[in-house]
Amino acid sequence: MKKTLFSLLALVVIASLSLAACGPAATQGPAATQAPAAVTLKVLVHQNPPMVAFMEAFNKTFQEKHPNITVDMSVVNAGDLSTVSQTRLAANDVDVVDIFGFANAAQPYMKKVDAPNWQQLIEAGLLMDLTDQAFVKNYDEATIKDAGSYNGKVYAINLGRVSYSGIYYNKDLFAANNVKVPTTWSELVAACEAFKAANIPCMTAGGKDGWPIFVGAYGLIGAIYPDQAGLVEGLWNGTIKWNDARSLEMWTKMQIYVRDMIEPGASGIPGDGAPGRFASGVVAMFPGGTWYAAAIDEAKPEFEWGYIPFPGSDNPEDNKYLFGKYDQGWAVAANTPNKEAALLYLTEFSEPANYQAFANAVGFIPTQPTAKLETRIGAEVAPYLANFRVGYEQYWIAPKGAGQFANPWATYFKPYGTDDDPQALADKVQADLQAGLDAVK
Amino acid sequence: MNYHFGRGWARWMPFLLLLPGLAAYFVIALGPSLATAVYSFTDASGLKGAPVRWVGFDNYQEFLFMGRASVDNLNALGRTLVFCFFVTVIQFGLGLLVAVILNQNLKGRNIFRTLYFMPVILGAVIQGLIWSLFLYPLGGPLAKLLELFGMRSEFLGGQPAEAFAWVIVVQIWANMGTTMIIFLSGLQTISTEYYEAARIDGASPWQVFANVTWPLLTPSVNTNLTLNIIGSLQAWQLFLVLLGYRNGTQVLGYLIYATGFGQTSGSVTSSFRQGYAAAASIVLFLLVLVIGTVVQNILRRREARILG
Repeated sequence: MKKTLFSLLALVVIASLSLAACGPAATQGPAATQAPAAVTLKVLVHQNPPMVAFMEAFNKTFQEKHPNITVDMSVVNAGDLSTVSQTRLAANDVDVVDIFGFANAAQPYMKKVDAPNWQQLIEAGLLMDLTDQAFVKNYDEATIKDAGSYNGKVYAINLGRVSYSGIYYNKDLFAANNVKVPTTWSELVAACEAFKAANIPCMTAGGKDGWPIFVGAYGLIGAIYPDQAGLVEGLWNGTIKWNDARSLEMWTKMQIYVRDMIEPGASGIPGDGAPGRFASGVVAMFPGGTWYAAAIDEAKPEFEWGYIPFPGSDNPEDNKYLFGKYDQGWAVAANTPNKEAALLYLTEFSEPANYQAFANAVGFIPTQPTAKLETRIGAEVAPYLANFRVGYEQYWIAPKGAGQFANPWATYFKPYGTDDDPQALADKVQADLQAGLDAVK
Repeated sequence: MNYHFGRGWARWMPFLLLLPGLAAYFVIALGPSLATAVYSFTDASGLKGAPVRWVGFDNYQEFLFMGRASVDNLNALGRTLVFCFFVTVIQFGLGLLVAVILNQNLKGRNIFRTLYFMPVILGAVIQGLIWSLFLYPLGGPLAKLLELFGMRSEFLGGQPAEAFAWVIVVQIWANMGTTMIIFLSGLQTISTEYYEAARIDGASPWQVFANVTWPLLTPSVNTNLTLNIIGSLQAWQLFLVLLGYRNGTQVLGYLIYATGFGQTSGSVTSSFRQGYAAAASIVLFLLVLVIGTVVQNILRRREARILG
């Protein structure tokens, strides 16, 4: 037995040596071309079906062009992106990360607040400085400055702006029920009453994820406080209160929004299920972000829909704004062992043709100056783009010690929360905020 | 003197054999626990390379005494105790009941044992998915049932108290199988002679249970109570999967996770605050320690009194 094993081992060794001798020598001379080393590029993105579909197609093309690079893309829910980015960057287990546009850093009037997570990542040295990369110049300067820079250096390229204060509406249902597309709050209330009378749910939302319901009400905040950065500063310095007369109007409307407009049961619909629910044609409206447009079209390409700013005021002039944020971006892990491949990936992604295809697929408002709004949602938002404003949550950092109700969320009202009195809720929200402001004095 | 392991170097064998286990315990359990205690006095973000500063008791002061947030934290602590109470009492009672029933000579009892135990082997994500579908408010099975009575509910997305109650239900469903199996194994160690003797003495089924089964189940009772209490005090995954971070539903375990990983404000830019989360962890640890020690003490005394 021992002898047989020994013979077998010897045979394997001889065969290996012979094969090695026949193969190309790695150091044959300067004329020989070295095959590029195999690289697995780890990419992390958040769940957004049309974006993921586009990235899968892009990755396939990229891999075909660069056979030595394998793209290993992971997809996580948007809410988990910061957590997973943190752990994987710390473990040096990712090369390219999807990162939301940098919201404003802590402002001078904000006392004793913690830095936002993107700033923490940069200060920990976990994101690569991209300032000198040629592909950065493909994006417009304002975007690079507002959504990807910190302390004069570029750490992310942002891929698009999105609006989240609009409403998709079902054109066929509006026509069939003889309902006018609302441009004021009163018209919106009347439209919902008309649909409810016809036994048609007025609005749907992906309430299972929580935020899609209150995101829909950004138009209500925006109609009352069009200057969202000013709102945040006012809340911090006490010139605006969540229980003053203007805010009370907002809370009253928010109650109507969640109680009378959103369809019962919406809290069970997952965020990525809501576009399908709307596209099914059974609901008249869908308050939500522009990023849903591609999913609606994919669910039912022939479906006729339009998109309007949420009419939160009875003065049409107050309803001309679209509030939103800088959405997905790319950053590179500072300690990546695959720096060249990671930068190549971003270079090719940023090529105008690829970026245009991305913007078309995802429906983002482009951040490359050469890109055009070729999508259906692009055409819908084009009239309002001059009035695009960054929304409240992008500026807001809560003071330490503030209570959990210190936000303008419609979901505090029944049936999702416990409140049914706008004044009582407004007082509670302001008290929770004031406790934090007092604590950091 | 006689040595079990002989003399000379062999005397060190027990310690050498213990070493791998001790090393694993230190690296996996004790080390991180001690590190958490140290981290709780820092402003660590959990990011590799980020500066870590010593902040003394600031995190504890903020967690327990700063503004309305501290009141919310204490409410979460209270909610944790409520969750622990209901889960422990109901899971313990149901587990015992099912174990006693399935210990009888019933047809198909193995199938039922498997069915009751099955949720235990599913992960929290699968458990959450199953219940999210069951409680889907737009035409899910329970919504349809309520419709028959002219009622409706948002279930998990509804008012915090109702959503919280549903997590208690799911927690019990998910873990009752373990309680049942421990009781079943305890029941099977009780000699049938005791039951025969009791029956000969004319004891009723209740008297048999109260005077034979219950006292002799003491080791299983102790194990189950301890596991149920500690498990429910530390619960957080089902809250994450079923509810997410919602006002009025957080328990301490989930609050720690959400704080440590920047998921508290609903904003995508929330800070990573692992030093602060570590302080909250220590508060939870102390809670588990105090309750666990008191319960263990009571149970040990009871065991000594009953079994001698």
